[in-house]
Amino acid sequence: MTSKSPTLASGSRLFRSETVTPLILIALVAVLVIAPLVKIVLATLTPDGLAAWQAVLASPLSQNLWWKPLANTLILGFGVASGCLLLGGFLAWLVILTDVPAPRFLGVLSTLPFMIPSFAAALAWGTLFRNSRLGGSAGFFEVNGIAIPDWLAWGLVPTLIVLVAHYYSLAYTIIAAALSSVGADLIESAQMAGAKRPRIFFGIILPVVTPALIAAASLTFAGAVSNFAAPALLGLPVRMQTLSTRLFGMIETGSGERGFVLALLLIGVSASFLFLADRVVSGRKAFITVTGKGGRTKRFALGAWRWPLFALAVLLGVGTTIVPVLVLAASSLAPQSGALFSNWTLHFWIGEGGGQMAQGQAGIFRNPVLIDALWNTIKLGLTVAGITMVLGLALAHTIVRRKGTLLANVLSQLAFMPLLIPSIAFAAAYIALFGAPIGPFPSLYGTFALLVIAAAAHNLPYAVQSGRSVLGQVSADIEESAKLTGASAVRRMLVIVFPLAIRGLLAGAILVFVKMVRDLSLVVLLFSATSPVLSMVAYRYASEGFMQFANAITLLILVICLAASLVAQALQSRVQKWKQS
Amino acid sequence: MTAQPAGIADAIKITDLVKQFGAFTAVDHVDIAVPKGAFLVLVGPSGCGKSTLLRMLAGLDEPSAGEISFLGNTVSSGTGGVVADPRQRNAGLVFQSYALWPHMTVANNISWPLKVAKWSKADRDARVNEVLALLGISALRDRYPAEISGGQQQRVAIARTIAPKPSILLFDEPLSNLDAKLRIEMRSELMRIHRATGATSVYVTHDQVEAMTMATHVAVLNIGRVEQFGAPIDLLREPATTFVATFLGTPPANLLPVVRRGAELIYGDLPLADAAIAGNLDSAQLLFRAQDIGIGRVEGRPSLAATFSEAAPIAGQTMVTAMVGDVRITGMVDGYFHAMPGDPIELSFLRDPDAVFTTGGERVAR
Ligand SMILES: Nc1ncnc2c1ncn2[C@@H]1O[C@H](COP(=O)(O)OP(=O)(O)OP(=O)(O)O)[C@@H](O)[C@H]1O
Ligand SMILES: [Mg+2]
Repeated sequence: MTSKSPTLASGSRLFRSETVTPLILIALVAVLVIAPLVKIVLATLTPDGLAAWQAVLASPLSQNLWWKPLANTLILGFGVASGCLLLGGFLAWLVILTDVPAPRFLGVLSTLPFMIPSFAAALAWGTLFRNSRLGGSAGFFEVNGIAIPDWLAWGLVPTLIVLVAHYYSLAYTIIAAALSSVGADLIESAQMAGAKRPRIFFGIILPVVTPALIAAASLTFAGAVSNFAAPALLGLPVRMQTLSTRLFGMIETGSGERGFVLALLLIGVSASFLFLADRVVSGRKAFITVTGKGGRTKRFALGAWRWPLFALAVLLGVGTTIVPVLVLAASSLAPQSGALFSNWTLHFWIGEGGGQMAQGQAGIFRNPVLIDALWNTIKLGLTVAGITMVLGLALAHTIVRRKGTLLANVLSQLAFMPLLIPSIAFAAAYIALFGAPIGPFPSLYGTFALLVIAAAAHNLPYAVQSGRSVLGQVSADIEESAKLTGASAVRRMLVIVFPLAIRGLLAGAILVFVKMVRDLSLVVLLFSATSPVLSMVAYRYASEGFMQFANAITLLILVICLAASLVAQALQSRVQKWKQS
Repeated sequence: MTAQPAGIADAIKITDLVKQFGAFTAVDHVDIAVPKGAFLVLVGPSGCGKSTLLRMLAGLDEPSAGEISFLGNTVSSGTGGVVADPRQRNAGLVFQSYALWPHMTVANNISWPLKVAKWSKADRDARVNEVLALLGISALRDRYPAEISGGQQQRVAIARTIAPKPSILLFDEPLSNLDAKLRIEMRSELMRIHRATGATSVYVTHDQVEAMTMATHVAVLNIGRVEQFGAPIDLLREPATTFVATFLGTPPANLLPVVRRGAELIYGDLPLADAAIAGNLDSAQLLFRAQDIGIGRVEGRPSLAATFSEAAPIAGQTMVTAMVGDVRITGMVDGYFHAMPGDPIELSFLRDPDAVFTTGGERVAR
């Protein structure tokens, strides 16, 4: 040992890495998450803002600006939550607790619909059910002589159906996980006590999974109230407004303050329900099932109902996954939307412009705007995925290693906040903050950079989540043993943590990528005309009535997402293998 | 159903019971009968069919063939399936995992089965208090299962099972999740409860000490078959097979393969016993208890060179294990014994073999 005091050196290193990094992170997260929220609140407290509050809440306009959209939003929220609980719960019960044939297949089928973005389902619905009330070409059914009433073609009902079809698999996943934690022993001990099936179901199974049911209900509720694509595509044409479409409309038409007010109200609606559900769940005792040997689950015999229920489940799964995709595919090939399966042509994909078809527009792969949008989309996905994963890993690392400290708590609370905020409201907050120049910095509104920053901030919760699970694979011991060698924090990160975590990180990054590629509600406010993305272009085409183009682009998005998901799956199973050996 | 009057019928009678999972036979022609108040212990290595047998007794699984009757009433049979379902059997089962309902407090876990059985509120409350006191867990009544320790969970599971006063108590390795000290404590507790309730108990374990200390009757199971059934002391004294002989007893008994040479049975080159005890067999296995094998040469007794492997002191004596070739032999010496692993030692056979078995493992009648 030299005469130089080693404590001093390590002390300053301690100072540098152990204290300053978290502070920088807190500052960063505060700028990303808190600043926009504070700014949007402040923006509604200016004279203009206060006028907007009044216009929205207490004026002759408020019926249209607030109450009707609120009613629609709540109907959608509660309707979707109940529908999802019903469908997801039914499927979870069938797959986990009964002797239905091929439970694994049904399980996979039931998780698929969530992979298909809600605007894809909404477009597919329109392709089939659209009627001629609003002019434009009618949908498949009407052209083929089946009259579609307005309530089934437009507005609340189809929006509700499309959203349930999208979100029920989320409910399924949550409920199925809870049900499979109900061990056979729990049920058999109730049998030993003499309880019959209904008694076992209502006395044991249902109470044990209640927290999961509440979680599923609140997540699907929050998803439905903040969804933009489905009500915009199926509701706006008949002037059905929800809070998110209203908020979009306000900002689009330049009534920024009113939009901000609506954004705050939307955040309130969505967050209050999530908060309430959280209180209900945490108010109850955490039902950690005390499991012993073997995680068997008890399967009840369905008897004669085995095959009918199996058929019903398959029908549900196919109807919400394969059918919409096929409809989109057929529609992108069929010149007439009424004749989905005849005269197929590749015109909408690769056709040259100038002809009779599609008002002379070229196919999507010949349209420079579209090629541009494709690259922009991929660029956006990659950039956001990269930034969030780095940020997520750094945050997760700090949170995990400093567990229990105030710092860690503040960080994790901050990082999870975007989860409570509907993305369209989040986008509005970003417009409030960056819509005007801040000091020497120019306004970022309409730039690619703003989109990236907002998206990265909004994806933080997922990034931190996957960062944490990745770090679960790198135990503190491993890192501490590196610490003992005297390696710096950065070096430990690069040499120890990163290599161990890389696969899990990639998988997490791909998830963020997928979310970005198919996102509409964030980009719809923040995208710029100079750098359009695919989902936005599809939305534009759809609102202008070019269904084939919209469907073709949606299909393209699906393909990109699917490919990315497959890569993620492959990575995950490799990781699994590595962990097993 | 048998015509026997209930008074003298066996509390539990298992006749020619078989359970198959596809082509695999988990329980293979089992016959066991025990009187009322008996404490029957099922022992055997992992996977021998103990839990499967117990689940058939509980009425959770149906037998493939054979019959189970309680007090003369058939409750399950290979032809009729589960004749009486679990709640009609007046039986209680303590699960290995405890299977406490996580959403109910301790008190509710105990009272729910009573509620299902339609007890009045006053009776329920009284009984809950009674069993909580019996198991010494009254203070835990308002806790949830996730908030109590493993040993406490186990007591709750037992309390829940005995609360409805079942006439048959079934236990599936209830102590296997507990640490050694708690296990010994709970063992005597279970015995006390067994006596207090007067129920007939069936207790599954693969711990032979548990079997020996608790049982009035023991059935040793091996690959689905009953190797031997009887009182614990009989199984120790007169093991019917080498499997039973080596499975029961601490320290384990020694088995030495011998062949006939003239009028003697020899192990290697060493004459160990008179060939007459093996009848007309040419080769056999001899059973020597650990206490019948000493360390060091003893005049007039056969002895054998061995390599010391380990020593463990037990109650003033030391249990010494040594290797002769591949065969592990355990003997006892008074006081403490020290040696380094690998040291040569001399083993002597102090008495004649305790029992003789065929090479196939069957006991040779004397
Ligand atoms: N449902 C089943 N399907 C197929 N085989 C089974 C089933 N249940 C048990 N078995 C098989 O039957 C055999 C006996 O199982 P059982 O659970 O009775 O063993 P055990 O004696 O209780 O073992 P342990 O001491 O490990 O609990 C095992 O080989 C097991 O694999
Ligand atoms: Mg078992």
